[in-house]
Amino acid sequence: MSLLDRRVRGFRLVDLIAAGLLVVLILGVYLAKTMAGRERSEIARAERGIAEEKARIRLLQAEVAHLEEPARLERLSQAYLGLASLPIKHDVTPEALYDAARASQAATPPSAPAPAQPQAPVPATKPQ
Amino acid sequence: MSLGLQGLGADALSRWLGRAMWRLEHAFERARASDRPEDDTRLRIFFVAALFAAGFLALAIGATHAALFSDVGREDAALVGAEAARADLVDRNGELLAADLLHYGLYVDPREIWDEGETRRALLAALPELTPERLSRALRAGRRSFLMGGLTPEVRARIFDLGLPGVTFEPEARRVYPLGSTAAHLIGFVDGGGQGLAGAEAAFNDGIHDASRDNHPVPLSIDLRIQAAAEAELAKQVAKFQPRGAVALVVDVHSGEILALANWPTFNPNNPGGASDDARLNRAAASIYEMGSTFKGFTVAAGLDSGVATPSTTFDARQPFQLGYRTIHDYHATHKVLTLVEVFQHSSNIGTAKLAQAMGPQRLERYFKAFGLTQPAKVELLESARPLSPRVWDDDAMASTSFGHGMNVSPLAVARAYVGLTNGGKLIPLTIRRLPPGTKADGPQIVSPRTSETLLQIMRANVTGGSGKSANVSGLNVGGKTGTGDKYDPVARAYSHTKQVSSFAAVFPTDGPLEAKRYFVMVLMDEPHPDETGADPTGGIAAAPAVGRIVERIAPFLGVRRRMDTAPFTEVAPSPQDSGEEH
Repeated sequence: MSLLDRRVRGFRLVDLIAAGLLVVLILGVYLAKTMAGRERSEIARAERGIAEEKARIRLLQAEVAHLEEPARLERLSQAYLGLASLPIKHDVTPEALYDAARASQAATPPSAPAPAQPQAPVPATKPQ
Repeated sequence: MSLGLQGLGADALSRWLGRAMWRLEHAFERARASDRPEDDTRLRIFFVAALFAAGFLALAIGATHAALFSDVGREDAALVGAEAARADLVDRNGELLAADLLHYGLYVDPREIWDEGETRRALLAALPELTPERLSRALRAGRRSFLMGGLTPEVRARIFDLGLPGVTFEPEARRVYPLGSTAAHLIGFVDGGGQGLAGAEAAFNDGIHDASRDNHPVPLSIDLRIQAAAEAELAKQVAKFQPRGAVALVVDVHSGEILALANWPTFNPNNPGGASDDARLNRAAASIYEMGSTFKGFTVAAGLDSGVATPSTTFDARQPFQLGYRTIHDYHATHKVLTLVEVFQHSSNIGTAKLAQAMGPQRLERYFKAFGLTQPAKVELLESARPLSPRVWDDDAMASTSFGHGMNVSPLAVARAYVGLTNGGKLIPLTIRRLPPGTKADGPQIVSPRTSETLLQIMRANVTGGSGKSANVSGLNVGGKTGTGDKYDPVARAYSHTKQVSSFAAVFPTDGPLEAKRYFVMVLMDEPHPDETGADPTGGIAAAPAVGRIVERIAPFLGVRRRMDTAPFTEVAPSPQDSGEEH
């Protein structure tokens, strides 16, 4: 007796197997969809969280830019710290420090004590 | 053979179904018995099943593709789209200048509101800027309607927590300029639909949209530190001289990049509608002025390049000079024979007009055209204004234009011409886009490199011993040219003696080879008033000191180190008036 003709309680075995497979398939699809739905919802929540964090970061970046506005910083540093922009004569490279010190000494009259200046102006050349 | 249908009962439908199933069951045997395999029902069933299988397979593939690769249905797709309408604008060092930030629009649907009074009270308390009239209109609309836009996430969360039925939110992107009025005219602003209307926002509108898709910022040429220094020093000068308007510019002469562009009055691009047209006007690009003596640099460059004059060529400035129908005087007459360098230092109108006469009107016109002074300044800004230049270049036009009258140009046009004259002689376009470091832009050769070198030294001589002394900064070798142009009064149909444009066009450092780092700096004051000293606010008084202070502040940012001061050409004994000079 072939598998197609074999019967169990009047039902063909192949029909029963097919019905069983169908039930398993339905159950499997249901479970898979349920789990996938849960995963999707988790992913969506995570993505929403990431998007909100990104938006928050951008907002904070804009706030930092606003707080670091140069004119505002200059105003605050002058008002509360008494700071001012550095005169160019205070700007010197480490290599030029020795020359600047010598120029400072040369410019100082021998009788007067040498002022403690970090840097002296570079002497001007004669007109061409 | 049966499927257990014998017991289905006696009704017709059951019998019919039973017979149909029986025929189906025996169809295989009948087909085999009649020896017609094409009628074999098994074969037909196979084909039908195969078709169904193919259909389901196609659906499965489609569903898998949609599930894995499509953005449709993603919950944050709208939010991402709303955020990415325009790319960020940043300065050359990556500092944020403009950004689209996520905001929310507030919507009200009166059909879903249970307690109108409570909703009204809660919304008015949470949103102080919301007017009761506006809220009443929305509550009477009878449908879901927009109530208010631009809510920050914090405000949205506060209202959301109130749990008001019928009150909903939609995400929306809003352009924000976190630095407020800093560099407002260069950055520009957008309309409510996210389209650029002014400045870089308009100039790079498509590029900014494209960059947003790649999530890349658009870097501009300005350096925020230099911009801030220019704006701060301009503001000090404005407070002192109370002009109608003012401009400060810093440009890299080799790349043409605009490192700072400051205007006064200014405005807040976060609320451009709240500012006047005058405040929104980008005077550096969109306004044209008769610059006055700043133009003498162009005439002198043309004279040197054409071979008509050398720095030591002399011009008799002892008497007023008649050219065309005008008689030309010097603002501070020296009554001397002057060399070309002295003409520049004393800003002698007579000497400059005589130089122009020696060149001839056609040659002067050709040079001025080559310097780009008869065209709008070549820069991406859509505001770049067309100049007014003489229709006919006759003796009178030549006399006027040689010292900056009879020609109206924008400060950017002046900047572009000076950039070309001091970078070795190449007229390059100005740009508000950041270029790769070390870029040397190319353009037509307008004067020889030798002329460029000589002009740099003459400009330097004007700061060491001429009208631009107040711009001198020890160790930075600033060179420049002052300019004070009387403004034309259309009511009086004559030049005003009280309204003027005072400017100083400078370049630093003037020493070193032509390829060395070099920057153009300009300050212009439109209709400045005398300060507490009562001195005439000429270019040397109202503009040059600001240039000096800007140069001193920005040199460290630009990597320009202190060096030996130079004083080219023979120093002229300065007259007391030289700190103010010419008209």
